[in-house]
Amino acid sequence: MYEPKIIGFLCNWCSYRGADTAGMARMKYPPNVKIIRVPCSGRISPELVLRTFREGADGVMVLGCHIGDCHYSTGNHRTAKRMPVLKKLLEYSGIESERLYINWVSAAEGEKFATVIKDFTEQISALPPFVETMK
Amino acid sequence: MSDRLSSLRETIEKILPDVDGVIALRTGPGGIVAPYLFSKEHPGELAELALWPKEPVPDTLKIILRAHPDAKLAIVCRGCEERGIVEMFKHAQFSLENVTLIGLQCDQQEVESCQCFKPFTVHAKLTVGQPVEGVRDPLMAKVMAMSQPEKLAFWKEEFSHCIKCYGCRNICPQCFCNICALEDEKWVETGRLPMPNPSMYHMVRAMHMTAKCVGCHECEETCPADIPMAVQFRLIARDVKEMFNYEPGAVMDQKPPQLLVLEEGEYENTGLPH
Ligand code: SF4
Ligand code: SF4
Ligand code: SF4
Ligand code: FES
Repeated sequence: MYEPKIIGFLCNWCSYRGADTAGMARMKYPPNVKIIRVPCSGRISPELVLRTFREGADGVMVLGCHIGDCHYSTGNHRTAKRMPVLKKLLEYSGIESERLYINWVSAAEGEKFATVIKDFTEQISALPPFVETMK
Repeated sequence: MSDRLSSLRETIEKILPDVDGVIALRTGPGGIVAPYLFSKEHPGELAELALWPKEPVPDTLKIILRAHPDAKLAIVCRGCEERGIVEMFKHAQFSLENVTLIGLQCDQQEVESCQCFKPFTVHAKLTVGQPVEGVRDPLMAKVMAMSQPEKLAFWKEEFSHCIKCYGCRNICPQCFCNICALEDEKWVETGRLPMPNPSMYHMVRAMHMTAKCVGCHECEETCPADIPMAVQFRLIARDVKEMFNYEPGAVMDQKPPQLLVLEEGEYENTGLPH
């Protein structure tokens, strides 16, 4: 079995702190997700996600504050508008849309963070390596 | 054909004295049909008025209004062109205050040739021709019926013919950014053909056409490699209608969803987790 490469874009104010909470509680989760901290999930443009795939990621996660809790009030509304469309585009392009994952994790939700990482890593492991499919 | 042509000519003749010019198609020297600005100074030129093949006239309107913002103009537009004009207006490309729309309804034959879903205007007060029903582009259903690996193979094959001439972007009336992401090395590699997969060029453009593509088919018409890239835009348009209840060009005072925050009930349609 191959070790999938996953990039997780985590917003600074909720999800990144949720990751901290999980770490502090010494929760176990697979190490495949490389975390990139961003100011807000709304920072993640479709271009960034696509380039992350182009660079060889097998899966991309975008985690942000729950709707209503965004530090910039409606940054994650952008996420909720753009990412579902991008998932559709992946589907219509013949790329497994489950390679892109969006969820909301608050600073307190360490356990949710660990579960989300574990589930997504499993989900991506079941798919062939992305670069292979692009050949 | 000739019927619509003469009633269009009459409509233009009627409005011509009240405006600075009317944008419509004209058969020029060598029999080439192109957008033209008819004016009251040269009414005789209306003898050369033409209907088809269609041209991206929303861009012609923009070019003239940029140079002459106060000009009082009328423009002959088909359904897709009217939608294009409405979207350009919503994205602040020009003001429509001094613009009169003359709707030209497409006939059955034209609808077949474009595989157009909405071949009639809905805003123009003046219209010429009888509206006919639109059709669904059969390629949409064909792509949707493919399995995931089949879709991938289909687009790999199609995009392998792309020579990255930027023709599809240049012709698109809805591609009007001053700085285009497709010219940014961060997103689109230059100097490499065939394009590497996944094609950043085509995927980025597809995302940018969300809630913007009006289905005029200009990009597909212009493509030297015959790539049906706008099928993806049309599939996404269906989703945008379901998720955010938005249809480009349909409602004049409805803002595009990318300019708004989530509205009540929209989140439930996005398929995102709770
Ligand atoms: S017009 Fe066709 S060949 Fe040119 S860039 Fe667009 S898809 Fe590629
Ligand atoms: S993407 Fe193509 S079909 Fe859509 S508005 Fe632009 S030129 Fe017309
Ligand atoms: S491709 Fe995107 S950035 Fe380029 S002109 Fe079109 S909408 Fe603008
Ligand atoms: S700050 Fe967390 S999603 Fe905007």
